[in-house]
Amino acid sequence: MSPLALIFLIIGIPALIGLAYIFVRGSAGLRRYILTRIGLLIPMVFILASLVFFVMRVLPGDPVRSSLGPKGSAETVARMREQLGLDDPLIVQYGRFLGDIVTLDFGNSLTGGRRPIIDEMSERFPATLELVIPAAGLALLIGIVGGTLAAARRKRPFDYALRLYSVVIYSIPVFWLGLIFQLVFGVRLGWTPIAGRIDPVIATTLERTTNILWLDAIITGNWAALWSSLSHLVLPVVTLGLILSGVFLRLTRVNVIETLQMEYIGAARARGIRERIVVGSHALKNAIIPVITLLGLQVAILLAGAVLTETVFSWPGMGQYLVQRISSRDYTAVQSVITMFAMLVALISLAVDIVYSLVDPRVRY
Amino acid sequence: MKRWISVVAVLVLVLAACTGGTTEDTTATTAGDTTVPDTTEGDTTSTTAAETPDTTGAPAGEADGTIIIGTTDTIASLDPADAYAIHDWELLKNINEGLLRWRPGELELTTGLAEEMPEVSEDGLVYTVRMREGVQFSDGTELTAEMYAEQLNRLLTIGPDCPNGVANALATPFLESIEALDSSTLQFTLTRPVAYFPQLLATAAFLPAHPDTFPADECVTFPEAPVHGTGPWYITEYTQGEQTVLEPNPNYTGELQPQVDRIIIRYFSDPQTMALAVQNGDIDIAWRILGAELVSELEGAEGLTIGAIEGGSIRYLILNYAIEPMDDINVRKAVASAIDRDEIVDVVYGGQVEPLYSMVPPGFIGATEIFDEMYQSPDLDAARAYLAESGYDENNPLELELWYPPEHYGAATADWMQLIEQQLEATGVIDVTLQPQEWSTYVTALTGGEAYPGGVLGWFFDFPDSSNYLEPFVFNGGLGTMVTSPEGEPINDQAAQLVDLLNEASVEQDEDARAALYEEIQEIYADLVVTLPIYFETEHVVPRDGVSGSDEYASPETLNIGPNLEFYYSVLSEN
Repeated sequence: MSPLALIFLIIGIPALIGLAYIFVRGSAGLRRYILTRIGLLIPMVFILASLVFFVMRVLPGDPVRSSLGPKGSAETVARMREQLGLDDPLIVQYGRFLGDIVTLDFGNSLTGGRRPIIDEMSERFPATLELVIPAAGLALLIGIVGGTLAAARRKRPFDYALRLYSVVIYSIPVFWLGLIFQLVFGVRLGWTPIAGRIDPVIATTLERTTNILWLDAIITGNWAALWSSLSHLVLPVVTLGLILSGVFLRLTRVNVIETLQMEYIGAARARGIRERIVVGSHALKNAIIPVITLLGLQVAILLAGAVLTETVFSWPGMGQYLVQRISSRDYTAVQSVITMFAMLVALISLAVDIVYSLVDPRVRY
Repeated sequence: MKRWISVVAVLVLVLAACTGGTTEDTTATTAGDTTVPDTTEGDTTSTTAAETPDTTGAPAGEADGTIIIGTTDTIASLDPADAYAIHDWELLKNINEGLLRWRPGELELTTGLAEEMPEVSEDGLVYTVRMREGVQFSDGTELTAEMYAEQLNRLLTIGPDCPNGVANALATPFLESIEALDSSTLQFTLTRPVAYFPQLLATAAFLPAHPDTFPADECVTFPEAPVHGTGPWYITEYTQGEQTVLEPNPNYTGELQPQVDRIIIRYFSDPQTMALAVQNGDIDIAWRILGAELVSELEGAEGLTIGAIEGGSIRYLILNYAIEPMDDINVRKAVASAIDRDEIVDVVYGGQVEPLYSMVPPGFIGATEIFDEMYQSPDLDAARAYLAESGYDENNPLELELWYPPEHYGAATADWMQLIEQQLEATGVIDVTLQPQEWSTYVTALTGGEAYPGGVLGWFFDFPDSSNYLEPFVFNGGLGTMVTSPEGEPINDQAAQLVDLLNEASVEQDEDARAALYEEIQEIYADLVVTLPIYFETEHVVPRDGVSGSDEYASPETLNIGPNLEFYYSVLSEN
């Protein structure tokens, strides 16, 4: 079983069970909402995939010439275009592409050895997951904790410092921050490795099942590999997580401040409940709901950030793959990756909306 | 919540306890269930992995004789009938040995699997080569001449349909047949005499592929590891975009015996990250492709040595004879006279590249500096005089469009094109318009010969022979020079003479006579200004202290990498 299929099983089966549970136990409105959203997924993916298909072909560039360079003779170019089906009418190519999406096969890439795209994604998607999930977690952690503390100390130096941090960190380019971290923590201090997913020598001892390296290391009991993979995760995760934390911090702060002005908070304070519990429990519970919504919206930004982070840290994930294939005008690979990203963003948004309804009982669909 | 955390923690521990094998088991699995004799200290690897967790990226190779080489290249194909990229050839030539090869650090051919240099028939059409006895692949399979011939025939039969589809161009135009006369003798019959055929034999396209991995009727770009060969190494595993692991071939009996237990090629997406990695000790050697700016940054860094290789990669301007105003020889000569190569080299590259005064770089047979002798550029008076002959002056300036790809050859391309614009406009008679264009559109338009009057192109030889620096720019449209038509018809008598001389040189067996012919060819080439050579690149290899090349071969300071950029991992040792 490929790592991609395995990951989909690990994430997909619990997600399906959860969805089924919510579907059965939820209100009729919620059921209708879920069905509508799932139904809307299909035209959404179709429109986006079509858009990418035609935009790629309108843009200047040609995958055959791009890979052959000046050394490909006219006959070689013609032969390869025929082999790759690039001289078929556009409508035929479009039909083939849609067929590939429906079967979740995605076809073969046009460059880099013409391997099945599903195999290439299978190798790289786990690396991206390994990066973006902890980065999102870190962003949330910093955002929620920092935002809450800033709100609780409103208009004090700590609040000003965190507000400044959130603006500065959000405006820093991710590649620049990554480079600075590599120089400081990797080269100067020598605390962390600066690139890659694992030490090359230790990598030769690790048997890969999911291709999420720390998970494979745990499964096989290879503790050296676990340590190495975690230490390699530090800089890229911190870079991506910090960049995203700014927006969560600001949103949490604003919402906690608003919530702290509500009457029930005043009542809680009047009852003598300690301020730490008032803020951390009573206020935060309500303030966090918009943050969850934002998380769904930030998934797309997270994936975009991963593209740059993966390039800076030579992290062989989907982002790096996408950059390479865009530059070689590999139509099918680019189309497939973007379609997959779109499906992912749509599914996570759906999941966030469902969670939203569970967290906030006032929400009715 | 605490209950859930406890449950998850217990599950993880149980999972780890149930499935956790020893690292020795893991190594065995990684190597694959093959018949490869394990002589590569797998236990040492396991011990290293278990006992030295990597926390700081300390040189991983130190403990067990592993050298880690960084590169920004990628693997495009490992099938000799298909591979055509520099990195692919580098890997293939380390895991395979061909009949002939170049000596490390030099452009001199020597024998590989061949017992001696090929016997050539009097008419130059038949090459007979005797192979060494007892050559085996790393899995123990014996290589016979029959097997070799069958594998090389893949180049002719399936080569054109392979994904990269160009490696066969090194055989199909010249090769009629490959036959095994007996179990150790191969015979190559050519369609016409080719003086540089021994050079072709040393390319990766003529390497023997393992018949079990590479079937006769199928191109296998990414075979499953282990990938066996007849060379000093074999690939035990590789992961796209991450790393390739090579270990010594236990059956290798040739000259290039490995000095370390393992080579790991680590792939980087960004050269800046690779430069930091070699500084940090994450890798032992930073290899291709470090730009001039990064090399300057690394100069003086503690523990690093910078090796500069004057490689065979050149940059030049294509000037199109079929498009105005480049159809005017005076315009071409004026451009050749006005350009100041030294300024480009110094200002843009800080002296990290070398000015080029012929399409044939120094060191190749018959190489001259004819453009310098003929035009002594920059000579603005001469440029103005040429233009005046065609009626151009300050009141009627020449309007010239020059194209370039801003991303393909690096950001510096735009810098030196702007410098060329200034140099040409300094004549006061030329008005230049620079046009950037995305690579794949650009290369199609430029080499197609129907769109751009002039533009930048780079070239790296397929085989290190002067012919490969001249013929492509003259024959069949000449990659957009249009000094001949796409059908091969020369545009004038001088071009016809050039074609004749190139054909004559390609069959001339006597080396001195060939050199003389190429000198004459370069003179006509420069007079026609078929292309305008600008500079040739210097590649850099940056090893950390403690890693060195071999004193037995040329250029140990560059890890014995010569102008052909052939990197034999067997010369590497730790000290």
